[in-house]
Amino acid sequence: MWHRSASFILDKNQNDTVYPADSVTLTPPPPSSISTPQNPNPNLNRNMSMSAYYQTRAAHHGVVTSDWLAQSQEAATRAVVTGGQEIVDGGKSGRAFSVIDEFNNWRKQPDLAEAVAAIRALAAVIRNSEAKTMMELEIELKKASDSLKSWDTTSISLTAGCDLFMRYVTRTSALEYEDFNSARSRLIERAEKFGEISYKARKIIAMLSQDFIFDGCTILVHGFSRVVMEVLKMAAQNKKLFRVLCTEGRPDRSGLRLANELAKLDVPVKLLIDSAVAYTMDEVDMVFVGADGVVESGGIINMMGTYQIALVAHSMNKPVYVAAESYKFARLYPLDQKDMGPALRPIDFGVPIPSKVEVETSARDYTPPQYLTLLFTDLGVLTPSVVSDELIQLYL
Amino acid sequence: MVAHGRQCKIEGSQATARQTAELLRSVISQQRVPYTNQAGALIDAVKAVGEQLIAANPVELAVGNIVRRVLHIIREEDLSLTTAAIGELNLSAVSDDENDDDRDGNTTLSAAAVAAAARSTLRPPSLQTLLEDTPVSAAVPQTSSSGAADKSSRSRKLKHDVIEAVNELIQDIVTCHEQIAEQAVEHIHQNEVILTLGSSRTVSEFLFAAKEKKRSFRVFVAEGAPRYQGHLLAKELVARGLQTTLITDSAVFAMISRVNMVIVGAHAVMANGGVIAPVGMNLVALAAQKHAVPFVVLAGSHKLCPLYPHNPEVLLNELRSPSELLDFGEFSDCMDFGSGSGSPLLHVVNPAFDYVPPKLVSLFITDAGGHNPSYMYRLIADYYSADDLVVQRRAIAGN
Repeated sequence: MWHRSASFILDKNQNDTVYPADSVTLTPPPPSSISTPQNPNPNLNRNMSMSAYYQTRAAHHGVVTSDWLAQSQEAATRAVVTGGQEIVDGGKSGRAFSVIDEFNNWRKQPDLAEAVAAIRALAAVIRNSEAKTMMELEIELKKASDSLKSWDTTSISLTAGCDLFMRYVTRTSALEYEDFNSARSRLIERAEKFGEISYKARKIIAMLSQDFIFDGCTILVHGFSRVVMEVLKMAAQNKKLFRVLCTEGRPDRSGLRLANELAKLDVPVKLLIDSAVAYTMDEVDMVFVGADGVVESGGIINMMGTYQIALVAHSMNKPVYVAAESYKFARLYPLDQKDMGPALRPIDFGVPIPSKVEVETSARDYTPPQYLTLLFTDLGVLTPSVVSDELIQLYL
Repeated sequence: MVAHGRQCKIEGSQATARQTAELLRSVISQQRVPYTNQAGALIDAVKAVGEQLIAANPVELAVGNIVRRVLHIIREEDLSLTTAAIGELNLSAVSDDENDDDRDGNTTLSAAAVAAAARSTLRPPSLQTLLEDTPVSAAVPQTSSSGAADKSSRSRKLKHDVIEAVNELIQDIVTCHEQIAEQAVEHIHQNEVILTLGSSRTVSEFLFAAKEKKRSFRVFVAEGAPRYQGHLLAKELVARGLQTTLITDSAVFAMISRVNMVIVGAHAVMANGGVIAPVGMNLVALAAQKHAVPFVVLAGSHKLCPLYPHNPEVLLNELRSPSELLDFGEFSDCMDFGSGSGSPLLHVVNPAFDYVPPKLVSLFITDAGGHNPSYMYRLIADYYSADDLVVQRRAIAGN
């Protein structure tokens, strides 16, 4: 009843599944064990559990507390078990290979983008497949891609990466090669190269944004984005004089990690708590954020807090620049904040919270395009209206 | 050639654009091209001249725009010739197989694939081509190495096509006013009040065209200090029989509530839709936004610049002589470097241009039609190639 969004029907369904589950957890009294509120109940629909994507990001970038770690391990074992079951159902009988395991292995590397991990996993599928024709191979890939997507519904770059690769496979197979084996080896080679493409993409974005960072400017950064890190690193290497204001980024506290990295580069950094953004906004010259996904309207989906910062920046006429690789463009069109699949993440308040107090645990928000000034992508510097154009060209 | 461009203080972007285009045309026609990679040679030659032209007059963005347009033309013509040549070649390759030895790699590539690959090297990077590598662009000129007869005819054809296209470009530049003025009738309606600032030839042609079509409307002209070119425009409008009111720039905010539409010209249009316009335009745009009056900018396509304004007030502004503001004789004691502590207390700043952000502009009318500011990227993608944003001769890659 607190929800006013148009998608309240969706919320209603979710709430129906939540309440009965809650009554189960209330019966054993939760005294000391848990400092975090709502435990992910194994009975819940997987969609309501912790978002694996944000979990991984936190593992890479955030400050980890010990009981969060215990909780995540418990969740991870559960996910792998269900993932394994899915693979068996998917008909890959008798083989130890699981695309989800492969994906998880790649994803663990902190420097690798999600989409790259996904595409590498799909390349492994091609390598291990016994298909003899392109159609068979495509069908296997489609199955693998679907299972990856359903395993983690909250990761946009995963979905976008899988879709991009599938489009590429369909187009390649239709046009070019008569010989199946050469086509297959080419697909594998391109997929492996995608890691390089992704890395090069970051470099291109960093180069494009150099002109926008002038000497003596103050940049506000939110969350730990590897692309934004690359931009700032290159600016520091080019001996530009600038100062960075960095939000703490609760609950991940990824801002602390970012501040650490910047201090190593001898860039003057100032840490702010998330609430201090409006207070310091008038000394800021520009806001730089990364993106978890870029949606069709030209808006972005990013760590919780980005929308707030964009609103404040817009009201004070400060430009908001987004640095995102092009494979993060996704065919989503959220109409409001609740219009996306939920991506939840447990929040550690440090003190026990009574269980009848709800906590907003969403890990991400949607920033509409009117609050963004420019997007720096490896396709060039784009205004938000270009995004839908690019997506149409891809999917047409 | 370049010294001529540097010395000639040509006023107005249309004349500059035309001069640049004609200059580049003569560069191209005089350039001797080798048999292989002719487009590359032409591009290098144009870039060399273009670099000098841009350096000579960085504030006049039309120069850079035309250089980039010509480069884009060269690439496009080269591409269309290549595609045509491959089409013919594969028909003949079926008969003689020894041609295939030249080509390394996949001889099973069909003509469609090679053409698609070649097409992808020209287009700006997009999501579609993200997974494809820079493909057989090396192999493509090699295909032309077979058949000596094709070679010389191709080289002549490329230059010929490029020069034809540059002629079309010059024609477009020259006739841009007419093409914009044709659209006047759709925008100016009966009994309207139009506001403009300073004097722009595009705007005056636009208004005259509407007058020709028997629309009766009134014009408020803001004088456009410090050059007061609004006075000249007012005289021209009266000579054509239009009811005109002359106001100072400071009076714009007071009068704007009585105005139906603001129509102004521009010095340049940036890639994000922002406008570099004569000084004072930002005030008019803000006043128009406050009173919800549509702010229409007229600009020929040679004014469309693929760059983004990083620091427009500083980078793209020209500071003119302070004598336009002050009479030196009266103020000589304040501005004297010799007396007192050395540096004078009175500084006179006379910027020539102003930046209007895209959110204040309602409509752009170009010779390609009327567009939203957020649509500018499309026109830029049509007219320019991504490789040409920095006009530098063969910068060494990777540093």
